[in-house]
Amino acid sequence: MLNPMDLTGQTILVTGASSGIGRETSRLLSQLGARLVLVARNEERLAETLRLLEGDGHTVQPFDLALTAEIPRWLKKITASAGPLHGLVHSAGIHKLRPLRVLNPQTVDEVMRINLGAALGLAGGFCQKGVGAPGGSIVFLSSVTGLVGQSGIAAYAASKGAVAAATRSLAVELARERIRVNCVAPGVVATELWDGVLKMLTPEQATALEATHLLGLGRARDVSYAIAFLLAETARWITGTVLVVDGGYTAH
Amino acid sequence: MKKNEFLSALDELLELEDGTLKGSESLDSLESWDSLAIISFIALADERCGVSLKPRQISDCSTIEDLAGLLGDRITVEVLA
Repeated sequence: MLNPMDLTGQTILVTGASSGIGRETSRLLSQLGARLVLVARNEERLAETLRLLEGDGHTVQPFDLALTAEIPRWLKKITASAGPLHGLVHSAGIHKLRPLRVLNPQTVDEVMRINLGAALGLAGGFCQKGVGAPGGSIVFLSSVTGLVGQSGIAAYAASKGAVAAATRSLAVELARERIRVNCVAPGVVATELWDGVLKMLTPEQATALEATHLLGLGRARDVSYAIAFLLAETARWITGTVLVVDGGYTAH
Repeated sequence: MKKNEFLSALDELLELEDGTLKGSESLDSLESWDSLAIISFIALADERCGVSLKPRQISDCSTIEDLAGLLGDRITVEVLA
């Protein structure tokens, strides 16, 4: 039987692999035959992700993506031993529920640094000789909040909108090297990141938000499938796009 | 933080002029005490005092003084010698 999302023989780096979408995506990609390079700050949680993977040859590379200037050099170092990357997924990200009246510049910088700054650093690093394989695929995580408005999250929304914009420009810039750049824009997905947000909401607010998703809240796997689709041969002719995976949140 | 700093921070949060709140005000009487204000207060408690609050604790409060109470010893009252 044909599997058009087969990733056998491909090496793929996933940031934010210690939890949520990053962890589940790493698991799915391993099931599709890929060799994973798992990246996050927390080594213990990376080790847990490693235990969930199928196949072998996977590696763990702890790194703090806040050190954006270091990213290209670090990528060069790890690919010297791991071999070139066929794909890169930037799933690490910060969400802060901070209404404008309590939004301070440090929070803005922090959110932009990890969500956007690291994305650009990773793309730049990927383009170095020997790091990204020809015909490689980069997938960023944007968000529906980067497309439609929501109260209390201006900084987060701005960072995710920026990721979508960067995706388009990078797709144009890297097309000559046959590197595809796309992003996925999820709605609310039940992950640790969302648990953090839930703590600040009343049950009524949480229920109301859930109800705006026609198909209910998402699961990490729903987003992982979209990421795998964009990494694989299935997206050979897709670049510069935002794949919305949101249970119908933006349909109305 | 000091009590007067706390009241100032709340003035800002509720878009009131600095020095408006004295502490005895009931939350219901304040026009800008809405769901966004509650979220903002949780963020403020976390960032400025390192205290993690839940919406339920806040809805149990009736006055500005009650809100200060949630922050316990993080709010200090100056004692003049």
